Parts: sequence; structure tokens; C-alpha cells
Amino acid sequence: MRKSLNLLISIGIPLLILILPQSVFPFENFTIIEQRVVAIFFLAALFWVLEPIPIYATSVLIIVLELIMLTESSFILFQDNGNTEHFGIYLSYKEIMGTFASPIIMLFLGGFFLAMSATKYRLDQNLARVLLKPFGKNPKMVMLGLMSITAIFSMFMSNTATTAMMLSILTPVLAVFTPNDKGKVAFALAIPVAANIGGIGTPIGTPPNAIALKYLIGEDLITFSQWMGFGIPFVIILLLFAWVLLAVLFPIETKEINLDIKGKFLKSQKAIIVYITFSITILLWLTDFIHGMNSYVVALIPVAVFSALSIINKEDLKKLSWDVLWLVSGGIALGIALEKSGLALTAVESIPFENFPPLLIVVAASVLSLTMANFMSNTATANLLLPIIAALGTSLSSLDDIGGNKMLILAVTFAASMGMALPISTPPNALAHATGLIQTNQMTKVGLIVGLSGVLLTYLMLYIMNLINFF
Amino acid sequence: MEKLYIICVDDQREVLSTIAKDLSVFENDLTIEECESAAEAEELIDEIDSEGNFVAMIISDHVMPGKSGVEFLSDVNKDDRFPNTQKILLTGLATHQDTIAAINSASINQYLEKPWNKEELIKSVKKLLTQFILKTGLDYQKYPTLTDQETLFEILKKHG
Repeated sequence: MRKSLNLLISIGIPLLILILPQSVFPFENFTIIEQRVVAIFFLAALFWVLEPIPIYATSVLIIVLELIMLTESSFILFQDNGNTEHFGIYLSYKEIMGTFASPIIMLFLGGFFLAMSATKYRLDQNLARVLLKPFGKNPKMVMLGLMSITAIFSMFMSNTATTAMMLSILTPVLAVFTPNDKGKVAFALAIPVAANIGGIGTPIGTPPNAIALKYLIGEDLITFSQWMGFGIPFVIILLLFAWVLLAVLFPIETKEINLDIKGKFLKSQKAIIVYITFSITILLWLTDFIHGMNSYVVALIPVAVFSALSIINKEDLKKLSWDVLWLVSGGIALGIALEKSGLALTAVESIPFENFPPLLIVVAASVLSLTMANFMSNTATANLLLPIIAALGTSLSSLDDIGGNKMLILAVTFAASMGMALPISTPPNALAHATGLIQTNQMTKVGLIVGLSGVLLTYLMLYIMNLINFF
Repeated sequence: MEKLYIICVDDQREVLSTIAKDLSVFENDLTIEECESAAEAEELIDEIDSEGNFVAMIISDHVMPGKSGVEFLSDVNKDDRFPNTQKILLTGLATHQDTIAAINSASINQYLEKPWNKEELIKSVKKLLTQFILKTGLDYQKYPTLTDQETLFEILKKHG
């Protein structure tokens, strides 16, 4: 019942927008194409919030609807018959289809190949074992160790896969805790919190970052190494804060923890190739200013190496997270439609943002992003907000003094990764909640505090970046 | 290229050599190893795995001194280093309870009773090797002697 109602709303409202007369819309020179983009945008927003179909399916739906309704190759009834005054300009169907293979997608594909090979040749498990050793047996230190490793891994692997791996390491340890020990909650929450935070550290850490890169072009360009230059310090500070917070909120009674991760580093030829390729790729990402290859080009190197040497074979290929790639593609396609149809600019210009204090705009945009990300997918949040934010950032000269478009996009992107107050906020949260060790209100408390502090810390970071003339 | 292994486990030497002899048809493309106890087999599969090679199949007896066959296969089943390893229980002395455990916790792929029929053993092994090769994503065209046409078609028509 609820499901069919959701579906009805998600389809009904966009349809209504589509059939309304053009004069209803409060924009000057409003075109038919723009009206269709509004309808598709509302459809995307409603589908991503209410989820009548899986979120990646919504992305595919967006792309197909754009092709049918907005391009020079659209369905005959949607084509310009010459009788309409304000039809607008067609989008290029090649550009819409090209989103499936946009550089952003290739960057993620490269990341997937690295992550998959690391898992297949147990680099992740073995690194976790070695890196955890120095943290000893003191529960608080072990927790810090687990959080650091989770954060580091989630910078290069999917936050979900990292969480699943770390939780499986953690589960046998938590079994020896006494039933009333609140430390269990601290540990079970530490993993998803660290995974959510860690994703911010690199452009490939989490999809919202990659989507942001799509809008950070031209003079707003941010390279892989630059991103890590501000991302990593941010992750470290927020991670330490979260660690202290968890330790204070949920004191650990257990005196000693023994983490026993089995295994040894594989020394087969293929395993060694994986180690080398992994290191070289990261090194190339960090040194783009020396060798000239941008991060997208570098990302395809592991894809070629691992395919050629059968390290990732065709069975592995089938197991790639195509859904994540499609989710991002749909977002890019939505962005293209908003931008190329002119709607993003039209919408932004129809509201007199110049009259608002620029700081208020930054705060409002990031709080909106944080709020949305708590209730829906972080990626979908970025998909919906960033095209409009980018149009706002480029058109608003009042922002220039505090960092301009670049600053605004970063504020919104970071805020999108701070949505972690509910089990549904992110897949890591859902996984941790499914362990049964955490109550929703405990997760919400920690998620809200960490999320809000993260947004405040973002402001501080952007302020400092502006001081040192980064923007 | 990685090597494939079949591990045979039985506490009786003569049984082991009979199995190995029966399976010698496969020997051009894989290595057959004989172990007299679960402990020995555990050490061996650990070594094969760390060299980056594949434990394609384990054929184990059940009643043995030390760890039983079903216990051993259950451990292998839980071990994420061997997700696709095919498991055959070859025994004459399993109780009803053992058989239940073999299916439920060891997820064995085939149950063969002693004394076994050579043709039947070869056929089962071939069928399971085909599944191992396809599940692992190895190139089945490189192993014509190890793959069973019927199983190959069956899997390929579903998954390409």
C-alpha cells in the first residue's frame, strides 16, 4: 500500500509538471526543454527519496528519459515541430550516453579494480593485521587502530566493503565482552563512523567526491594530490574527535582485547604484481604535477594491468559494483541536463541570491546537503544538489571573497558525507546497525554530533584554505 | 600460470593410492596430492594457497584418527581462502548424523560411498572440476581434459 502510494507520488508530480502550461513557471523565456528537465529533476528527487525502485535504477531511468525527451534523437512526439515559440535547444544524445563512461566513472572503475585485487590477494586483511599490531591490547588504543585502518581503507576501497571487512574482524572480539559493557556499542559504531569519515580523504573515497570533481573544472580544478592535501588532515582531526566522543559516551569496561587476524602476505607472482601496481597507482595519483597524467588517466592503468595479467578475470569483472557506477552516471546526466538546458542558471538567477550574505548561502547549502544526506543516499544527495550549487557558485560574485565556487562545492560535498545519523543514511551505518549491538538512538546521537562537528570543521578548513589563498 | 590441485585424504595408504591411480587420467593438467590425515591436508592446502595456486578439489574419507573428514571439510567450507574448492566425501562409515553435518556445515558437493566405481568417480570429479574452473573464472578452453561438456554447456548457457 505504502509502496504503491510512493510510486504514485513519484510519477504523478513529475507528470503534472510536464503537462502544466509554460506560463505557470515563474521564469522568463522558459523553454519546453527546460520544463521537461524540471519534470525529470523532480522525478529524480522523488525517486531517490522515496525509493519506489532501487536508486541505481532511478539513475538509468533519468538517462533514458533524457534521451527520449531532450535529445536531437528524441521520440517524435517530443521533437520540435516548429510551432512552439520557446522550444529550447536539444541536448546531444552522445553526451548523455557518454555519462556511462565519463572520466569520473573511469576514476571509480580504477578504484574498484584496485579494491577488488587487494581483496582477492588478501592485501586488505594482511595490511589490517600488520597495521593493528602497534596499537597493542588496550581497548581504547585498539579502537583507535581499528578506526584509523577503516578510514585509510575507505579512502581507496568502497566504504561498504571496508565496513563489512572490519566488522567481520571485530565480531569475534566483541563476543567476549560482558553483556553490559557499553564498549561494545563504541566498537560497533567506530567502524561505520570511521568509514564514513575516511571516504572524504581522497577523490575516489566516496562517490560524492567524484561528482564534485565533475564540477571542479577550469580554474576551479582540484587535483588528486591537492584533494588529499586538505582531505587527509580533515579526516585525521574528525576521526580523533569521533574516537574521543565514542570513548566518553560508551566507556569500555573490558581491560584487554586480543585481535587475532590470521593470514600471511601472499608471495605469489600475481600477488606481488598487485602490491606493486597498487603502490604505483597511488604514487602516480599523488604526483600528477610531475608526470602530467591526470587522475582519470592514471585510474585506467590498474584496469589494464590487472586485466592483461588475469588478476581480475572475467568472473571478477561480473562482480564489479556496476550499480554504483550507474548511480553516479545518472547524476552526471542529470547535471548535464540542468546545465546545458540552461535551467540551472535560470533557476538560480530567478532568486536574488546576491542580496543574501554569502556566508548564509554557504551555511544554508551545506546544512541542506547534510539534512538530505541523512535521509537518503549521500551520492544521490550530491547528484541532486551539486549541479545547482555549481551554477550558483559560478554566477554569484559575492562569494569570491570567501573562496567562490570551489569553496561552495567543497562545503556541500563534505556535508553530503556527514550524513550518518540513521541506519539508512549510509550502507556502513546499515551494516553496523544490522549487528544488533547498536540502538538507533545511540547511532543518531553519535551521527548527529560527528556530522555537525564535521560541517563546522569543514567551515574552519575552508576558512584556512581561503587565508592561504588556495582558492 | 597457476596450478590446480586435487587433495585426497584417507588414513589408509592403499585406499589413497587407488584413488590416485583412478584419477591419473587428469594428471597432465593438475597435481594429485595424497594426505594421510586432516592435519597433513590442512598444512598442504595452506602451502598451495600461499604459493598462489588453487585447491580445486578435496576428496576426503570421514572416519580418520584426529580430525574427522566432515570436520575438516566444514573448516574448509568456512575458510574464505577456498570459496570455490569442490568437496567430495568418500566414505563407507558415515552415520546419519555425519551425513547431515556433511551437507549442512561442510556443504559437500558430492557424496560417494565406498567401495566406489572408478567410472563414477571420474565422472563426478570431472563435473565438479568444470564447476570449479568456471566459478573461479579460469579459462576453460585451456583445460579440455578436465572439463565435462554437459556441465560446461549447462553453466555457459545460463551465465555466458
